Amino acid sequence: MRRPARRPRHPGIPRTRMVLRDLAAESVAGILQRPARTALTVLGTLLGVGAFVAILGLTATARGQISSDFTVLAATQVTVKDVGAPDPAQQTGAATRYDFPDDADQRAERLGGAVHAGTYWQVFKTPPAVSTRSGPATGAAAGSQGAEGLTVYAASPGLLQAVGPTLSSGTLYNTFHDSRRMHVAVIGSAVARRLGISNLAAQPAVFVNGTPYTVVGILQNVERLPNLLLSVMIPGRTARADYGDPAPDYAATMLIQTRVGAARLIAQQAPLALRPDRPDHLQAVPPPAPHALQDSVTGSLDSLFLLLAGITLVIGTVGIANTTLVSVLERTGEIGLRRSLGARPRHIAAQFLTESAVLGTLGGLLGTAVSIVVTLSVALAHNWTAILDPWTTLPAPLIGTLTGLLAGAYPALRAARIEPAEALRR
Amino acid sequence: MPVQEARGEATVTAAPTGTPAVIDLVAAARTYPGPPPVHALRPTDLTVRRAEYIAVVGPSGSGKSTLLNVIGLVDRPTGGHYRLDGIDTGRLPEADRTALRGHRIGLVFQAFHLLPYRTATENVMLAQVYLGTPRARRRTEAVDALLAVGLGHRLDALPSAMSGGERQRVAIARALVNRPSLLLCDEPTGNLDSGSAGRVMNTLDALNDSGITLVVITHDPAVAARARRIITIRDGQLAEDSGQPSVGSPA
Repeated sequence: MRRPARRPRHPGIPRTRMVLRDLAAESVAGILQRPARTALTVLGTLLGVGAFVAILGLTATARGQISSDFTVLAATQVTVKDVGAPDPAQQTGAATRYDFPDDADQRAERLGGAVHAGTYWQVFKTPPAVSTRSGPATGAAAGSQGAEGLTVYAASPGLLQAVGPTLSSGTLYNTFHDSRRMHVAVIGSAVARRLGISNLAAQPAVFVNGTPYTVVGILQNVERLPNLLLSVMIPGRTARADYGDPAPDYAATMLIQTRVGAARLIAQQAPLALRPDRPDHLQAVPPPAPHALQDSVTGSLDSLFLLLAGITLVIGTVGIANTTLVSVLERTGEIGLRRSLGARPRHIAAQFLTESAVLGTLGGLLGTAVSIVVTLSVALAHNWTAILDPWTTLPAPLIGTLTGLLAGAYPALRAARIEPAEALRR
Repeated sequence: MPVQEARGEATVTAAPTGTPAVIDLVAAARTYPGPPPVHALRPTDLTVRRAEYIAVVGPSGSGKSTLLNVIGLVDRPTGGHYRLDGIDTGRLPEADRTALRGHRIGLVFQAFHLLPYRTATENVMLAQVYLGTPRARRRTEAVDALLAVGLGHRLDALPSAMSGGERQRVAIARALVNRPSLLLCDEPTGNLDSGSAGRVMNTLDALNDSGITLVVITHDPAVAARARRIITIRDGQLAEDSGQPSVGSPA
């Protein structure tokens, strides 16, 4: 014994000990003595750790999918709102507001990383009468060839490109139409169906409150601003010439489509680039930070499932504790024998603690393996990319070890307290 | 086995005969606290010398187990002194008593206490774990011990495949493997039929002939008859059947 003696000891008798290898061998032998019981005990930890890792893996995977859907659009989009003068004193009395410059689209698109940019606003406060016939639409006429509840948007040519349009027929109007304030319109596919417009060869027109606009294109789909599909879009300058600047309640908004990663920088630059003289009249809204988005989507779900996993783990712990305790009581004779052979209480405690720790580790390893398989299967079934965070997956078996140690503490203490005399009487 | 001198305390010299004392009880007593207190072992003197063969007989409840526990360092006497190989055990910390038990005393039980999933050799090797015997030596020493009890043909047998007598001889081999000063047997034939018991007793006889110190605690007169000395215990009092003066209660 290398340990310095603290109490008087007899020099001739070396203290008994248990080397690590013997400890491991004895513990493993104890576990293997009852394979069926060992398997059932391991199952508890397996389920606990498995649930833990699987929940983390599945939520991370699902979250990855959600954010990949979101990020393509959300992370490459900046909106700039026309908020008017920040000083309320200057705002009062203004019936209309338009703080974007005439060349707003071009100014925004010149920013590094910007792809397309354009402004839009709702032209009418109350839904206008939209039909394919001239003259005021009566209730009867609206039934067949008119449509109610349609919105008319003023949209700059750049906006039509920024929303990621798919045309079913025709073309988008462009800066030529816009600068000449031409009466053209692009309509959404839903509007086209409701108005009965399918063929643009005859240059059909829609009448908005009696004013005709030649339909040049029909939008089949858009990636952004899906309500445009239910709307009639007319060039921004045409709208301002016909109906004046937008009302404060329907103030113009600019949508900037950016390259990936450029959005937040562009959000900083846009107001100054658009209105060097009055940047404070414009307010840029950057895309939400990726983490904030993900957390808000799945944060609450995560904690609920983790709670369940924790409960499973506790049940697993109780299972190990119970089995180890039963095993201790059952092996009282063996413990007494070991004590008579020179085992000290700490050797007995170490053996049972090691047994439960090995059981826990085994459960942790198997649980982690099973949960990885589960996560991969679910991801494959949904055509998702499986996401397993190495920082939670790799240490997961250690949770099992800790569980085992925790569960084994009390039985090990009980075992250590068994007196050789009582045990050997059996 | 070298005889160790007790430290500090005034040493009570071992008995005048030349052979050194393995067990030396001086007014050793064990009282279980009451109320009422039970005097399981009244103050007792007992000297057992090297290579002696002693049987302790007595009916159940007579204090046999208490004496076994005291001699086996499983229990501490509440009075008097107990020297094992000259070492005063009363003042030793528990860890040293455990070490002394592991090194110097081989215990044999009525219930064998073999581990059911291990072979005879592995069961014997269990005794070497806590003494830190180098692993390379364990198997050969265990096999030697099994050969000494005549089980050379059962080295790899599991306890379930062995007769009761064989099992007890494995247990004896396990008690012997660390070369103790004392083989302490508690009802070694209590679970055995007369044939097996006879073979076990023959084994014990042979071991004693080779110089092993034996203390056998039994209630069986046939077993006791094999011993060179028979000590009767009754109500916690020891009495020597052969009338030799080395045992008695202090007046």
